[in-house]
Amino acid sequence: MNASMDRVDVDKVLAGNISAFEGIVGRWQRPLVNLAYRFCGDRGRAEEMAQEAFLRAYRALDQWRRDAAFSTWLFALATNLYRSELRRIPARIVSLEDVAELRDSRAFESGLEDKDRNRAVRRAVFALPLKYREALILFYFHGMDVAAAAQSLGLPEGTVKARLFRGRKILRGKLPQILTAPRLKEA
Amino acid sequence: MKDDDLNRILSEEEELLPSSGFATCVMDAVRREASIPPPIPFPWKRALPGLAIAGLAVVAVLIGLAKLVRGAASTQFPPAQPTVLVPILHAMINARVGWITLVLLVTLASVLLSMRLTSRLS
Repeated sequence: MNASMDRVDVDKVLAGNISAFEGIVGRWQRPLVNLAYRFCGDRGRAEEMAQEAFLRAYRALDQWRRDAAFSTWLFALATNLYRSELRRIPARIVSLEDVAELRDSRAFESGLEDKDRNRAVRRAVFALPLKYREALILFYFHGMDVAAAAQSLGLPEGTVKARLFRGRKILRGKLPQILTAPRLKEA
Repeated sequence: MKDDDLNRILSEEEELLPSSGFATCVMDAVRREASIPPPIPFPWKRALPGLAIAGLAVVAVLIGLAKLVRGAASTQFPPAQPTVLVPILHAMINARVGWITLVLLVTLASVLLSMRLTSRLS
């Protein structure tokens, strides 16, 4: 459904009907803002980056080859933009202490603890080096398979697999610190 | 924590909603973009003959320079000429070669710079 709507809207925009781009923005704003947020961890910056991604998509709309889905093309374009943006201005570095404090600041009673632990784990992804983070973001947060993530990142599948493995390993190595930090502070 | 737990936690989506005015902002930016006239493409067809002539001129100058340098190197100054003049003549030739080379390099650099600027604008 989305794919055919995208196709129709793209045709309209290319024919000169700029308002048709609104349909594309409406359908893809959420995934693009979320993807940007996973990269930078800052809501304001995520929206700026997503806006730039839409602008670039608008400029390059005639370069979309219809053999791939519009979403694949859009995500690849956005991923490339976000990666280069983060290389230009790196995201605020989240240290393990920050992650631990995030956990510390929340209520730990009852059912919140699991939720809070999970949030801390996801926040810890921001502390990973960019090359591991981007692989994890596409694979987990955006549910891409290795092939799609590799296509979006412009890397061989083997490299993406290796980065996923290494990213998970680093994360697992950090988890004991993240999960025990508040207790250590209390003691 | 087991691998499965880690996979499950990472796969859980925490959806962030774009702010209410986001789509409007994007469309404003798109309309602004659309209202800008397209950049003037570099007039390759018109520039090509000029560039070809300039290229030929550069080649001719280089050949001339090479001949000049070779000639200067093999010139036997007559014995009647004072030996003091020989290094001066050499210096003059060298100086001219240097200036011509400098001018050519500056020209080349300015051509390359203008081409790069034009391609960036388009």
